[in-house]
Amino acid sequence: MKERPGTDEPSHLPLHIFLIIFTFLSLYPIFWVFTIAFSGQQSLAIADVPANATFVERLRAIIPWPKEFSTSNFVSVMKDQPFARWLLNSAIVAAATTVVGVFLACTAAYAFSRFIFPGRRAGLMSFLVSQMFPGTLMLIPLYIILVKWLGLGSSRIGLVFVYATVSIPFCVWMLKGYFDTIPKELEEAAIMDGASPGTIFVRIILPLAKPAVAVTALFSFMTGWNEFILAATFMDKEVMYTAPVGLRFFVGGFSQQWGYFAAGSIIVSIPVVALFMFLQKYLVSGLTAGAVKG
Amino acid sequence: MAAGMLHRRRFAIGLILGLIVGLSVLFALYREARNEIASQAAERSGIISLLSLTQLVSETGPSGDAMRQAVSAVASSDSSLKKISVIKGVSLEASTVPQDSAPRRLKRDEKPIFDLGQRLRAAVQTNREEQVARKNEIEIQQIDNGALRLAAPVEEEGSVTGFVMIETSPSAKPSPPSIVTPIIVGLIALAVFLAVGFLFGEKRTALAILALVILSAALAAYGMMVKRATEADNMSVENKLAKQLSEQSTRSAGLLTQLGITPKAQAKPGLWDADVYRTPRGILTDQGTINKTVLAKKEQSFEQQVNKFQIGILVLCLAILAFFGFGVASKLIQTIVLNRQAYLYVTPAMVAMLVLVFFPFLYGIVLSFTGSTLYNTEKPLTEIWTGLRNYYDILGDFSIVKRSDQGISINFQNFYWTFLFTVVWTFCNVTIGVVVGLILALILNTKGLALRPLYRVLLIFPWAMPNYITALIWRGMFHQQFGVINQIIQLFGGTPVSWFEKPFTSFLTALTTNGWLSFPFMMVVSLGALQSIPSDLYEAARVDGASRWQQFRSITLPSLKPALVPAIILSVVWTFNMFNIIFLVTAGEPAGSTEILITQAYKIAFQQYRYGYAAAYSTIIFLILLVYGSIQNKLTKATEAIA
Repeated sequence: MKERPGTDEPSHLPLHIFLIIFTFLSLYPIFWVFTIAFSGQQSLAIADVPANATFVERLRAIIPWPKEFSTSNFVSVMKDQPFARWLLNSAIVAAATTVVGVFLACTAAYAFSRFIFPGRRAGLMSFLVSQMFPGTLMLIPLYIILVKWLGLGSSRIGLVFVYATVSIPFCVWMLKGYFDTIPKELEEAAIMDGASPGTIFVRIILPLAKPAVAVTALFSFMTGWNEFILAATFMDKEVMYTAPVGLRFFVGGFSQQWGYFAAGSIIVSIPVVALFMFLQKYLVSGLTAGAVKG
Repeated sequence: MAAGMLHRRRFAIGLILGLIVGLSVLFALYREARNEIASQAAERSGIISLLSLTQLVSETGPSGDAMRQAVSAVASSDSSLKKISVIKGVSLEASTVPQDSAPRRLKRDEKPIFDLGQRLRAAVQTNREEQVARKNEIEIQQIDNGALRLAAPVEEEGSVTGFVMIETSPSAKPSPPSIVTPIIVGLIALAVFLAVGFLFGEKRTALAILALVILSAALAAYGMMVKRATEADNMSVENKLAKQLSEQSTRSAGLLTQLGITPKAQAKPGLWDADVYRTPRGILTDQGTINKTVLAKKEQSFEQQVNKFQIGILVLCLAILAFFGFGVASKLIQTIVLNRQAYLYVTPAMVAMLVLVFFPFLYGIVLSFTGSTLYNTEKPLTEIWTGLRNYYDILGDFSIVKRSDQGISINFQNFYWTFLFTVVWTFCNVTIGVVVGLILALILNTKGLALRPLYRVLLIFPWAMPNYITALIWRGMFHQQFGVINQIIQLFGGTPVSWFEKPFTSFLTALTTNGWLSFPFMMVVSLGALQSIPSDLYEAARVDGASRWQQFRSITLPSLKPALVPAIILSVVWTFNMFNIIFLVTAGEPAGSTEILITQAYKIAFQQYRYGYAAAYSTIIFLILLVYGSIQNKLTKATEAIA
């Protein structure tokens, strides 16, 4: 019961055992994907199990290590399949979403943070309320407007604008919070020197808010890179698929190309997982703060 | 005095804008109507010529020299027809173009012509079998310059054997109506307003009434002129068509006598003035005169429509007048000018939100009151308006349990089943996420635990993976034959499970997947909160002799609350709307039993294409979330007040 540095050490062993087992189990699906990806085959089984399999044969089928090591899935998913094209589509869409999204969010957040004008409160509240709109309620009208009226089905432009707009409220709230912390005195000095609001925005606010702008940009990028439903609904033509839609194409319906899927998943995931690891502490604080305000 | 001047100027501006909008809309409508009348007249005239020809050909038979003679006689006497051809089966029996060298077989590149004949025959047959006019029995095609290509079937002894095709000469577009008239009307109205307004002086009410009266009168006057002119246009078209009909009917009769053919049936030229289903319009009689009662009825319905339009335009213009006249506009402009910097910055984002978020949202709600489907998105909403029908169908259907011979079965398509399932799904997931996340956080928070940052990073991985990939991975691992999960079961001597064939096991797969990707969030949040608890609190408790459980209950849990409650609130909404997992892992299998509300709405919209119904479904989801949000808001406020 009593705490002494010496006696504490051995009691950690059960915790470590538990954590190691749990971590292994929770990473198992990821090991599994790597196994399938490097197996050089399309099958989703790690190893073939004969009809009257022995315990060892069965055990082999669940150990996430490929029987033969091969990178052929990676090579052919990029070369023989249109996956490179889908990746390019995703990259273009995500990059354009980032540019458009950051521009829209920064300007709006600056106005909300620095000006008092009629409609300011209503605008901020409307952003919050819009977060409650369920996706499908938006999806049907958006589909009719973009595809049936504007003819933007299977086009990257339509997707970019929808993604950029959908991420506006979160980005604006986050940026506004950051802009609010920048002291007004800096601007007052600039005003005395004859700077216009535009100059202040570009020369003072944006440089000072670099970290927040970077986070916003990364968030917009992830929205564009990871989104599945809208892309699956709007992109009819196979050449215009984004990577998520393409990955599902490999294993959805009657197609069972698990090798391509696994290799493609790893390629798609690496940038987002890296970004996520970098971003997670901002995300957690941003999300919970948003929930408290809402 | 100055204010009075201002009033008069404002009302004058409002009146001018109202007049411009109203008169130009009326003018545009008039121009459209004229074009429409002209193109309809061309079409009707074409159909009359075509049907008079088919009647002639069905008397002579679709092949033979007599028919060719008749056709060439018609072509030479009628300058409005550029080309006539008669096709029977695969042979071109007659053509007025010499290069065609009829009669001969159709060539390979003339397959579209053959197909056209097949289409017409099928259309006549279908319409006869179904006793309705559903398929076009006359095909009309626009060629350039308003010329038309028309084709109609020829029947022999009650069955279609061939068809006649004609090309009409290009018809001149009607000259656009005079723009001077509306301008004069507008100027007169303005002059009257200025003159009388001068007498009235600065009285605001009087000026408002004056402007209202003048605007209404001007619009009514020009509207009346337009209506008169349109009616006159209509009448002249009818007269022209009647003349054409009687001419062609005499010509046909003459030709038949000339060729020595006694007509098998009495010609009924009144039938020639038909629509594309060959249903007579009934306006022209067999004698080539105009049936006044039918025409009057048609004109009446037209007039009603025009009146509706006019009232709409008038309301719009009066709104413009009021907007400017009562100074709302000038105040608005002042505000905008005063805050132009702020509005400049906020406009791009606001426009984007309006176009792509708020408008679609409102449009979705409007759609939920209609019977919109894939097939009628082009129709105006008023035509497919169904009121509360969709809501009634969704919420009023309580047949969750069905009794059949095999016993009791559940209707998985029922809204209440899906709702219940969604609630259970959300509750289970959030519970699992919180329990697992909290346990892990407590373990990781142990003092002096080695490798803690490594565990933390590794355990975040499930959250970092894109969730659609996660979902597809688990779908693969739950595969009945090759999936790893079943291999593990077999390893311990069990029998493989068909996961997606029973609602409960299917639910387990989705639960596992979602649990896997949602515990890291709770873990990170809890860990952050745990680390911020000052350790002297525990020391004080230990000094007071509190057990570990007591410490947990009175120190740990209360300190976790501020962080955990928002996280739970958020994760309830996330899970409630967790589209990707359900859609990609269970896909609702079996039989839609594991569908949550949002995936069900998606399937109604994009697999059954019932947009209106799906919109109502989504609106209900929104209302549920709204209720949840307000309850949660009240609860947190209440707890805050107590604390």
